[in-house]
Formats: sequence, structure tokens, C-alpha cells
Amino acid sequence: MRPARAASALLLALWGAASLHPLIASTSKELFETGNSAYEQGRFQDAAAAYEKVVAYGVADPRVLYNLGNSYFKLGKLGSAILCYERVLRLDSSDQDARVNLEFARGLIRDRLQEPEIPYPVKAMKDVLDTLPLELVGLVFLCIYYLAASLLGALLLATGAVRRRVLGYGAAAAGLCAILAAGILYYKIQDRTSAHAIVMTDRVDVLSGPSSDNTVLFTVHEGTRLELRNRRDGWYQVSLPNAMSGWVPSESVERV
Amino acid sequence: MRHGRPGPVFRAVVPSGRVATGRGGAARSAVVYLVALLASWMCAGVAAHAQNIGVRARVDRENIEEGGQTSLVVEVFGPTLGEVGPPDVSGITEFDIVGGPMTSNRFQWINGRTSATRSYTYLLRPRRTGSLRIPALGLLVNGRTFRTEAVNVEVYPAGSAGAPGPRPSPPGANPGAGGGPGRPARPGSSQSEGDGTAMVRVVADVDTRTAYVGQQVTLRVLLDTQTEILNLGMKDTPTFPGFWAEEIKLPENLELRRIVHGADTYSEYTLMKRALFPTGSGTLTIPPLSYQIQVRRRSQDPIESFFFTPTETITRRTEPIAIRIQPLPSGSRPEGFSGAVGNFTLAVTADRKDSRVNDAIGVKVRVTGEGNLNAVNALPLPDLSDFKQYAPKISSSTNVVADRLRGEKVWDYVLIPLAPGQQTIPPVRFSFFDAKAGTFRTVASPPLTIQVARGADGDAGTGAGLVAQRDVRQLRRDIRFIKQAPDGLRDRSLPMYRAPWFIALVLLPLAADLGLFTYTRTRDSQRAHARQRRERRARSLARRRLKEARRRMSPSTTRAFYAEVAQALTEYVAAKFDTSASGLTRDRIEDLLATRGAAEEDRRAFHRCLEACDYARFAPTSSGSEEMRRTLLAAEEILVRLERSLAA
Repeated sequence: MRPARAASALLLALWGAASLHPLIASTSKELFETGNSAYEQGRFQDAAAAYEKVVAYGVADPRVLYNLGNSYFKLGKLGSAILCYERVLRLDSSDQDARVNLEFARGLIRDRLQEPEIPYPVKAMKDVLDTLPLELVGLVFLCIYYLAASLLGALLLATGAVRRRVLGYGAAAAGLCAILAAGILYYKIQDRTSAHAIVMTDRVDVLSGPSSDNTVLFTVHEGTRLELRNRRDGWYQVSLPNAMSGWVPSESVERV
Repeated sequence: MRHGRPGPVFRAVVPSGRVATGRGGAARSAVVYLVALLASWMCAGVAAHAQNIGVRARVDRENIEEGGQTSLVVEVFGPTLGEVGPPDVSGITEFDIVGGPMTSNRFQWINGRTSATRSYTYLLRPRRTGSLRIPALGLLVNGRTFRTEAVNVEVYPAGSAGAPGPRPSPPGANPGAGGGPGRPARPGSSQSEGDGTAMVRVVADVDTRTAYVGQQVTLRVLLDTQTEILNLGMKDTPTFPGFWAEEIKLPENLELRRIVHGADTYSEYTLMKRALFPTGSGTLTIPPLSYQIQVRRRSQDPIESFFFTPTETITRRTEPIAIRIQPLPSGSRPEGFSGAVGNFTLAVTADRKDSRVNDAIGVKVRVTGEGNLNAVNALPLPDLSDFKQYAPKISSSTNVVADRLRGEKVWDYVLIPLAPGQQTIPPVRFSFFDAKAGTFRTVASPPLTIQVARGADGDAGTGAGLVAQRDVRQLRRDIRFIKQAPDGLRDRSLPMYRAPWFIALVLLPLAADLGLFTYTRTRDSQRAHARQRRERRARSLARRRLKEARRRMSPSTTRAFYAEVAQALTEYVAAKFDTSASGLTRDRIEDLLATRGAAEEDRRAFHRCLEACDYARFAPTSSGSEEMRRTLLAAEEILVRLERSLAA
């Protein structure tokens, strides 16, 4: 009797999940359009509330986050807007609109951070890679990877010396390309999963240790992007691109 | 900011042969004077006779306040001077030389004797307080070097109790006695012996004590005197911090006015006029202006008065004037206001009303009125889409009417019509602040209509070359607009690289290649194993064949016997080398045996035996039993030897 009851519960849960998904989809779409309508009418607070509900449904669509970032920006919430644009680019690094808006919003923050000097060829390559979507890089990697694997398989089955030599060279070249593509994919994954946070409060003092009685090393302001290096008892150890480092309360920043 | 020129300078009225030294005793008697004159003549005679050249240095004030100035006069005198070089002042390290050298020459002829004096005057400002020293200065006169005596100057801190009074000589010089308004000059002092120096005063006044930023404030500096002024000059170049200063020119001949102060009558001259335009709000101060005035000193000595012109140099300073400057109202400031304050009119004129496409038209925008237009830089004419517009030629001029600065600024445009038809230059607007009314005002010109005909060659102005192309300017920046989702929303929180299908696709080729590798290794292993087994069985297989041959060793089965022997040998080689026996030729067998290191003698014996078998099988003659037995033994021996050599 017990297995039968468990099976019934499982079936019910599956049915519920299956029936809930389209409901969420339709509701989130309606909320999204409601938010868009409110935004177009200049009711940015209502728009932000609608987009936030969509996000709360668990629909991590970059367009929702992008529109939410725009609403925050219009409301003057610079830190929240930058956080949303950062999250959009994590989901879709090829979104030029989000990139432009992020650059524009970054121009309004009070902290001017000196980025480390990067040689031009590296910077150019980095710029190109940053605009490539992760999915595209993954698909290109898969194609090259399959080509290399196919050539290797053919090489294993080949008998003639000439044929084996041709297949051997082909497999080696394809293998190198596959390694390169894997490196680019790794870079994209690292970029997506790197630990960064945005300052959400107007200003926050960066201390020398994870408690409020430590020395104030420097101050950062809303919207500044920090690299997270460590976490301890409600404090984040953060660093800036210029290697300045310290601890901030975790409630003053929001992880991207 | 322009600096005004120093005030007008009175030409010294010094009769030839008289020395305006500014020195003079207070009560020298006629006898003393005559004695001195006689001694002077005698000395001059002796000096002339000896061609004596003398140099001396003196200062007009030996006790000065910190920040004050003193005049250093270096004189060369003698009957004749010849070539005189200026003194070497590089040794003056405790003073800043702020003026000079001013060179003057004096020549005297008295009773047939001549004397000449050349003087170099420097204006010195001390660098510190205390007892400062002007070292002995060297001069080159007619190739010879003369040195003056060193001169000491006492410098007191500014405002200290030890600040010096006037130097006994010149009498009556009273530098500290300013002549500003409300502070009449003191009429003489005990040292002045009742002379007239105290009856000179310099007064500065302004027409208003409150003004707006940019509004004209007229500064006037007046000289009131009861004595004769011989020379006059400003001690320092006047500066007006916080103001834009425009000079109001004075007439070449100073106008004399008679004014009465109490019971005294003064002659009044205007020394300076400036139109000042405040550049910022707050309380601005016109600093004191100092004048050095050389006046005729009244002398009670009739001989001195008769023979000389007793003079002295006095300093008069105006009082600072504080003016409260109000900012322009910010609430009603019109768009396009460029800072003009005053009262202006605007006129826009075109040199013709009819034109053709590509024929230039001159358009003048003229702003005229009372006020300072120098700060107005905005272009009044807006962009005109139907005209090609060049940068205007801007000219401005100012004049003064009734002490008020009036300005005119003209923007001279060249416009080229680009399209035929009736083209209109829209109204040009000019905004200014009317300080008298305390409000902003905007004046506008009427629109100008230009009738544009087609060009001489029928050009309607549509050619691409005529269009004045310009870069598109970014006026403002904003974030990009929101996005729509016509295809619905998708949850992309799970990245592709974490999707199961992606991981499966990555693992699949690995598994496939691993499987293939395993398969090929197994296959190769099996093949090698079979080859070894066949090789191992080669000897037994050959023996079995030879055994069958022995069984057929009879004259009736000769061919079968030899066939078995040949097959035993061939199949042995084929098994040993894992190849087919059917394709083995003599050469192939030779290659195979050679590659495995079989001895040449064995190879030769092998081939001989094989050839013997072939000969016996296909030759018409039949072999005997003995022949077959030898062949069989030879085959067995060859196999033994080959087995041994191939195993090695």
C-alpha cells in the first residue's frame, strides 16, 4: 500500500509541476509587459516592482534584468542598476545594450578606479572575447572537439601508412584548435562565475579587518564594483583593480 | 584685465641751471648761503682744473616701512663727463629693484665754469626688515671705475611703533598722510616750517557703492592742491582685483577747477578715471593708489627762493574703497543670456534682400549700448538649414560718453543660400541684464526675408557639394531603452556548460575514442597471437607434410611425393612469416628469409631442394627411390637448420 501511495504522490507532484510551469510562464510574461507599459509611461517604480516579481518567479531572462536595471537607473538607484546590468552580461555577454548602459551608469559613480594597464593586443582580444556569447563559444568548442575526436577515431582504425599520417596531422591540428577553444570557453566560464559585488549603499568604509573597530582604509561609493576574495562572519574581503583591499559588511554590497 | 596707464605727469618746471634736489635747509642764512656758493665755485674751479670726477649714491628715505619703497639716486658729476656707463647694481641683494634706471642729465654754467651731473634713479623695495645695506656701486666713467659709498637703510615692520616719520630732508614730505576722502591732508608739520606740502591731497571716489556683477562702477581720482605741482606720478601700476578695468581717457590738458573746502580754496585736477566692471559677487575693494608728487616748497629764505626752486617730493595715497557687488538674479535668467549687463539695442541687417543660390549675402548683427560687451562671446545667429554659414568676423569697439562705457559688437556673417525661394533669417535675440531696472531684458530683431533665385547656371542648390556637412554632435546621453520579449521569457540561469546534454556531448567522443582504442588494441593483440601460434605450428605442419611424402615415396607416386615435399617447405615459410603460401615466389621467399637472418647457405639449400622438387614433378623422366629419399632427407635437414637460424 505504501509504494502505491508514494507513487501517487510523485505523480501528483509531477502533474503539479507540469501545470505550474505554463502558469508561471504566462504570469511572468504578463508581468513583464505590465512593467514595460509602466516604464513607457514613466512610472518607473511600478515597472521595477513588476520586473522584480518576474525575477522572483525564478525567470532569469536577461531582458527582464535589463529592463529592471533601466527602471532602477531612472529611479536613481545607481548601485541596483549596475548590479542588474552586470547580471545581464553574465547571462548574455553579447548584450550590447546592457554593456552600453553599464558603461554609462559607471560614468556616474563617484569612485574613479584606475584599471591596470593591459597591452593593446591582449586588450583587443579581451574585448572581442567579452562580446562573444558563452553559448556560441561552447558550440564552437563542441564542433572543433568533435572534429578532433573523429579524426582521432579514424586514425585508430586506419591501416595504411599514408592514411594514418594524414589523419594523424589532421587530428593533431584539430586537437590544438580544440584546446584553444576550450581555453576560451574556460575564460568565459571564469568570467561568468568570478566573484564580484556591487556597493549598494551611498558610501561604505573599507576596513582593515572584519570588524567595525578596525582602521578605515578607504571609502567606496554606490555602484563601485569590488572583487570578492573571502567571506567571514558577515564580512567580505574585497579588493579593487588597483590592488587596494579591505573588508566591508556583507549587507553593504550585493554579489553579482 | 587691462591696466590703466599711470596718471598724467606734470612736467617739471625746473629752470635751467637750477637743481631740484628736494634738499634744503630749513633756515639757512644768506651769509651761509653766500659762503657755500663761494666754496662751491672754488671747488668747482678746482675740480674742473683737476678734471675731477665724483660719484655718490643717496636714497630719498633712509627709514622706511616694510613693503615701502625708496629711491636710490646714483650721481656722477664733474666738469665734463664723457662716456658714463650705468652703475653695476648686481651687488644689491637685500632689495628688489622694482623700477629704473631713470636717467637724467644736468648741466650748469656759472661764471664761465661748467659742471655736469648724470644721475641714475632706481626704485628699491626691501626684502626684509632691519638694517639693510646698499653696497658701494661701481661706475665706469671714461674707462675708469669709480665707486660710491655704501648706503644704509633702516626697514621697520609695517605698522610698528618704530615706523619712521618723515625724513627731515625733504621737509614736509609726509608719506603716511593719505589724501583720501574724509581725511584731509594735514596742513604742514613742524618740520615743514609752514610750507605748502600738506595742502595737497589725492582723493578717490566711485559713483556707487553697490552694484551688480558686470555693472559699471566709475572710479575717479582727484588731486586737490593749494600749491604748485611740478611733477607727479604713480608709485605703482594700479591694479583692481576682481574688476575688469577700462580706462576712461582724460584730456591732454588737465582741466583745472576751483573748489572750496571750508575756508580754503583748492585747485582740483582729475588724475584718473576708470570704468570698473565687477567680475564676481561679494565685497570687492579698490586698493589704495599712491602718487609721488613733486611740489614747490615755500621757502622763507629769499636767496634760496631767488636762485633756486626749492622742491620736495611727497607721497599721497587714496583710501581703499569697498563696494558691495550683488550677483545677478538666477531665477529669471533667460536662455541664451551671455553675461551682458547694461542697456543694449540690437540690429540685424543684410546687405541685400535678393540673391541667388550660391551667391554670398553679408549679414551684420550689431549690438550697441551702454555696458561692457567684451565678455559676450556667444554667437547670436542660430544655425540656418537653408544657408551655408561661415564663422563670423567679430569686431568690437568702445567709447566713453559721460563717463559711461558704451560698447558696440558686430558679428559679420557670410551666408550662402543653398536653395531657391523665399528664405527667412529668423529673429535674432539678445538678452542682457538691465542693472538700473534690476531685471533681465531680451531684445529681438525682426525676421529678415531674402528672396533667393536660382543660380546663374540654373543651379537649384540641390548639389551634394553645396550641403554644409558637419559631424553629428552628441547633445546628451542616456541609457538605452527597455527591451520587449515577443517570443516569451526564458530562464537562462542554468548555463550551457552545466547542462547535462553539454556534459554528455563532451564525454561522448572521449568514450567513443576510448572504445575504438580498446577495440584496435584487442584486435591487434589477437592478430599477433594468431601469428605466433601459426609460427609455432609451422615445424609440425612441415613434418606432417614430410611424413605424408615419405608415405608416398614410391615410383608410382613420384609426383605426389615431390609435391608434398615442396608444399612442406613452402607452407613452412608461409607459416613462419604469417603469409599465404600461394603467393610465395622464389624471390619473395628469399626476401623473407633474408630479413629474418637465415644463413645464405641455408637459403641456397632451400631453393635447391625446392627446385629439385619442381624439376622432378614436371620433368618427363622419373626419379628413383634413392633420389626421393635424398630429397626427403635434404628437406628435413633444411627445415632443421632454418628452424635453428630463424629462432636465433
